[in-house]
Amino acid sequence: MSAVRRVPALALAVAALLGLAALSLAVGDARLSPSQLLDGLLRRDEFAATIVWSIRMPRLLVATLVGAALSASGLVMQAYFRNALASPGLLGVSAGGAAGAVVAIGCGLAAVSLLTVPLFAVAGALAATGAVILLARRGASTERLLLAGVALNALLGAVTSYVLSAHTITYERNAQILFWLIGGLEDRTWEHVWMAAPVLPAALLLLPLGRPMDLLSLGAEEAQSLGVDVRRLRCRLLALSTVLTALATAVAGTVGFVGLVVPHILRLLVGPEHRRLVPLSLVAGAAFVVGCDLLGRASGDLRLGIVTALIGGPYFLWLLRRDER
Amino acid sequence: MNPALSLENVSVPGRLRALSLAVSPGRLVGLVGPNGSGKSTLLAAAAGLLPVAAPGVVRWGGEALERIPALERGRRAAWVPQEARFDFGFSVRSVVGQARYAHGDDAAGVEEALARFGLAAIAERPVDRLSGGERHRVLLARAWATGAALQLWDEPLAALDPRHALETLMLAREMTRAGRALVFSLHDLRVAHCLDEVVVLHEGRLRASGPPDVVLTPELLREVFGVTARVEPGLTLFL
Repeated sequence: MSAVRRVPALALAVAALLGLAALSLAVGDARLSPSQLLDGLLRRDEFAATIVWSIRMPRLLVATLVGAALSASGLVMQAYFRNALASPGLLGVSAGGAAGAVVAIGCGLAAVSLLTVPLFAVAGALAATGAVILLARRGASTERLLLAGVALNALLGAVTSYVLSAHTITYERNAQILFWLIGGLEDRTWEHVWMAAPVLPAALLLLPLGRPMDLLSLGAEEAQSLGVDVRRLRCRLLALSTVLTALATAVAGTVGFVGLVVPHILRLLVGPEHRRLVPLSLVAGAAFVVGCDLLGRASGDLRLGIVTALIGGPYFLWLLRRDER
Repeated sequence: MNPALSLENVSVPGRLRALSLAVSPGRLVGLVGPNGSGKSTLLAAAAGLLPVAAPGVVRWGGEALERIPALERGRRAAWVPQEARFDFGFSVRSVVGQARYAHGDDAAGVEEALARFGLAAIAERPVDRLSGGERHRVLLARAWATGAALQLWDEPLAALDPRHALETLMLAREMTRAGRALVFSLHDLRVAHCLDEVVVLHEGRLRASGPPDVVLTPELLREVFGVTARVEPGLTLFL
């Protein structure tokens, strides 16, 4: 039974991602027809090739990596905290990554090396994850988790505001920082693609953890009694989800709600089994962010973070209301 | 023969004090004691879910627990928590199937477990929509399906209606006849009389253990539970 259902869901997600990717390469100030797009992809036409390979492809790939990372990261946090409302944005992990990046930029360290900003983002996200674990504990109630997230988001927001208002800050750095606060994919280059590329190995490491995640999502003690090495699994899951969030934040700034909305919709569609949800969340998350980016570009260049918030915010409120009943 | 479970000098800070206990294969053992006497703690420690203070040792089949790798633990012992909480809507069959995680998810015995615990008709239902008693039966079926030689159940009967409680006891007896050892906590002392052995806990210490008709005396019940009871062979009546 599951084999019959598994293939179409993943195949559909892949098809959606490919379709949206093609649109994303074709649509823009210079609209490419299918044949022009093909010419561009195959470098048969120099103009089309420049648009496709230098401008739109990096943006598309960054969107794909960011979407896959945030969605899978949310899925992992939900299993870890046994709570379908846990996600990198709400828990403050994204804000931690952003604060790390902002501090790096504010101190002028971004110019030192291409790796400074992502490394600071990872450090910030790790610190935020540690704080959430201390504040919320596993199997925490929704209230406790959300309160921990509110507190952390506020605290990290203060760090960011401090850097923004520091007298040493230059106009240029301020503009750079604003980029992190409202996540977006403008002017992403191949450098950013390489920066986010570790998402792929992280995703591969996540794939075999689907089955033990099933057991963990129903309780750590039960999982352990059934043969899961819970401590090791938790370490891996936390490390992977934090790194995924941090990488996404490092290349696109804070993009909210992806890790909440995508896994939740997938659970409604295919059920809670993580062996299916892990690969699906990667592909569907990528498709979701590519789609949101397209939507933003089509509505007068709305930034990605704004589009995901406009979709995710109402969805989240609806979820809370539904859970109340 | 090695005991299926042995606790030697096991202490858990604030909850269990220097407790020693051995359970032979094929024994059906009841754990009784007032609320907070350490029953759940003992079961969790026996299942390897709580750190045990040195120099205490928990052994399964004579082997020290810390030397048994995580996956193998899942094959050798099953633990049923007191609270049946499910945060995600896995199907009943899927949760029972988790019993086979440590066996490479071979699904062996899952269908039989569903049938034995009266879950076959609701096998596709999401567990987060079940009643409390049904949830407990899911956990019991999962423990059964592990095929583990050591079974540790925390108040398996408390949430069940009389028929399912009786059926569960009969299944428990069947398991011990097949050579498994089963230790479970309970509050209904009338049930205790049909067990091989009772272990009485009081304030984190082992107060008494042995055949129920020997252990459950009016004096002990007054001391441990603070109740007046009349005890006849095979029956405890509270007055």
